[in-house]
Amino acid sequence: MWEMIQRSLQRGVLAGREATPVPAGITPAPRAESGEIEVMGDALRVEVQRLFRGSLKLRHLDAGSCNGCESELQALLNPFYDLQRFGIDIVASPRHADGLLVTGPVTRHLEEAVLRTDAATPRPRLVIAVGDCACDGGFCRDSFAVHKGASALLDVAVRVPGCPPRPAEILRALLMAIGHESVRVAAGVSAPGMPTP
Amino acid sequence: MSKPPLIGDLFPLDRALRGIRERFADVVIDADRTSLRERTVVVPAERLAEVAGALTQDWGASLLTLFGLDERGSAGRFRIHVMFSMAPEDAFITLVAAVPETAPAYKAVTTTVHAAHWLEREMQDLLGVTPVGHPDPAPLVAHDGWPRGMHPQRRDFAVPDGISWPPRFSFHRVEGEGVFEIPVGPIHAGIIEPGHFRFSTVGEAVIKLDVKLGWKYRGLEELGEGQHWTRGLEIAERICGTCAFSHALAYCQAAEELAGATVPPRARALRSMAAELERVYNHVTDMAGILNDTAWVVGAAEMMRVKEIVQQLIDGLFGHRFLRGVCVPGGVQRDLDDTQELWLRRVLGDVRAAVEQTRHAMLNNAAVMDRLVGTGVLPLEVVRDLGVTGVAARASGSTRDGRKDHAYAFYRDLDFGVVTRNGGDVLARYELRADEIHESLNLIDQMIQRLPGGPIAQHLGQLPNDKWGFGLVESPRGLLSHWLRADERGDISDWRVRSASHAAWPAVALAVPGNIVPDFPLINKSFNLCYACTDK
Repeated sequence: MWEMIQRSLQRGVLAGREATPVPAGITPAPRAESGEIEVMGDALRVEVQRLFRGSLKLRHLDAGSCNGCESELQALLNPFYDLQRFGIDIVASPRHADGLLVTGPVTRHLEEAVLRTDAATPRPRLVIAVGDCACDGGFCRDSFAVHKGASALLDVAVRVPGCPPRPAEILRALLMAIGHESVRVAAGVSAPGMPTP
Repeated sequence: MSKPPLIGDLFPLDRALRGIRERFADVVIDADRTSLRERTVVVPAERLAEVAGALTQDWGASLLTLFGLDERGSAGRFRIHVMFSMAPEDAFITLVAAVPETAPAYKAVTTTVHAAHWLEREMQDLLGVTPVGHPDPAPLVAHDGWPRGMHPQRRDFAVPDGISWPPRFSFHRVEGEGVFEIPVGPIHAGIIEPGHFRFSTVGEAVIKLDVKLGWKYRGLEELGEGQHWTRGLEIAERICGTCAFSHALAYCQAAEELAGATVPPRARALRSMAAELERVYNHVTDMAGILNDTAWVVGAAEMMRVKEIVQQLIDGLFGHRFLRGVCVPGGVQRDLDDTQELWLRRVLGDVRAAVEQTRHAMLNNAAVMDRLVGTGVLPLEVVRDLGVTGVAARASGSTRDGRKDHAYAFYRDLDFGVVTRNGGDVLARYELRADEIHESLNLIDQMIQRLPGGPIAQHLGQLPNDKWGFGLVESPRGLLSHWLRADERGDISDWRVRSASHAAWPAVALAVPGNIVPDFPLINKSFNLCYACTDK
């Protein structure tokens, strides 16, 4: 184990770095464009900044996603994105949470579980829809077995589109929500498009 | 590929067909569908369980999938398909039975083939055909709050208005002094999918685990019906996020078999390459999960680092972190050039080293090993009885691997072995994944060296409506199949999907009893089954 720790010390801090930079001379494959992140209006945003003071504890709530958004939310905790360095973290109970990260279109079967999780979250709380399904039902919005996104049951304040949205995009949306972007200072090495604390 | 071993003077498929003819004289061998590798046997519904039992017990068949179709409009009946693999021969036998519309019931296949357990419960919910004599006929997908008589796979299904589906259901209760019930879920602490687990415990020891899924039921097979195959592909890639490529591949193979399309060699090789990359990042994730649940943060963080490296590499090469949009019916949509191949090899070399260093450190860490050794043992008999495939099966000594048994894409042209372990515990499942990553990286190396030239896609014409197509893929979690039939316009008329997780969930419930409650997350993670592609 000491060798592992030694190697990671030699490697240095990974936070904010690209994991696999594209070498010179190689053209990366074209990527699909993702939609615009939607954050609540200015008045509410000021209120959120005042209430949470740049610190946000979120509870993940899977409302019927394909597991893709879950994988990207987990990636936010890896050494490259390192969510905690921004004062944001995922907590185990809705009772400890300032907000909910909702993924999936909200299946009929999870309706009650979603409402009860929301009811267990202390007010004021921020509802963040992650991924196309949570934003508007996505690819399966026409199915009889699902609602058309989290806003069918909850007041959604932030929408992060994408199927699934990349971790850097989710991170940017969270920082916009708590007003980090306006106060951020460029520090250290940073991958293109990756926010810095 | 070498010929399958002869049994006496016959190959497994011929022996089974001869056995059926001799023992079940009243059973008709259908000549309609005699493709080289799939034979259809039409069986009276009341004899289905008997023939299925003989196939698995006497003639070496293993169940792949079972589903029902609504043919009341055209033929006044429901039709049941029970599909078997004849591995090691690359051949399938499908038993077909007609169940009359007026009395939608038949003798449950589960009575003789236990692997049909969840499949028949699902069919009962979605199609409303009753498997009589099923040992555990409780609803699977449907929760008890479903409106009575609601069967979404029936063609005349109409969505009831403004329905509410409160999740109420019963459990297998264990009664006695000192027995406690611990309900967990559907919403869990952490970034994971929803499922309900009901533990019956005495002290710390679990004596019974009841798994209740279906929470994520999105009605995807039903959503695809009546749609063009392009829309079907969009849905197939979203049945499961982390096996997206495997689902796309199985779906495309089904569509190609239906349309009679031949995939160009370069596309076949790129498909195998993408499939192995998907296996690598999934296995690394699962290893991170196992280490995280033993609270060994150093190892977990290292594996999460490797996962991000692989996913960013995939993103750079194929344009999507989960390989969506790569596979299309007829071929692939992304090509690689020489410089990209070099980049791929260099990055994967680092991945190989990191996986091995972490395994080495883990094996020397007594605190981690204490949690892994002997935890959550899945015996080989259970694997065979329940038809478990993939990592969970091979870590218990099974040699089933769809890449060998029913070679698809480019696997027939590659040298590789089926890796197995015999422990059947969490450690065996961890080490098997590390071994398989090495095998996958070897396969990718071979493909880079032997990548054929030529086009990467062939045009797929209209899907004919007089036959069906079947695609089978060894996904990171095990065998995954898509079955497709088209209507007269060439759109999807019936679509049935079975994922590896669907087959393995009942086995998790049997690997947990005897262990202590705090080891459940660890055992569950060592299987790392998908909820989304079980519920669909």
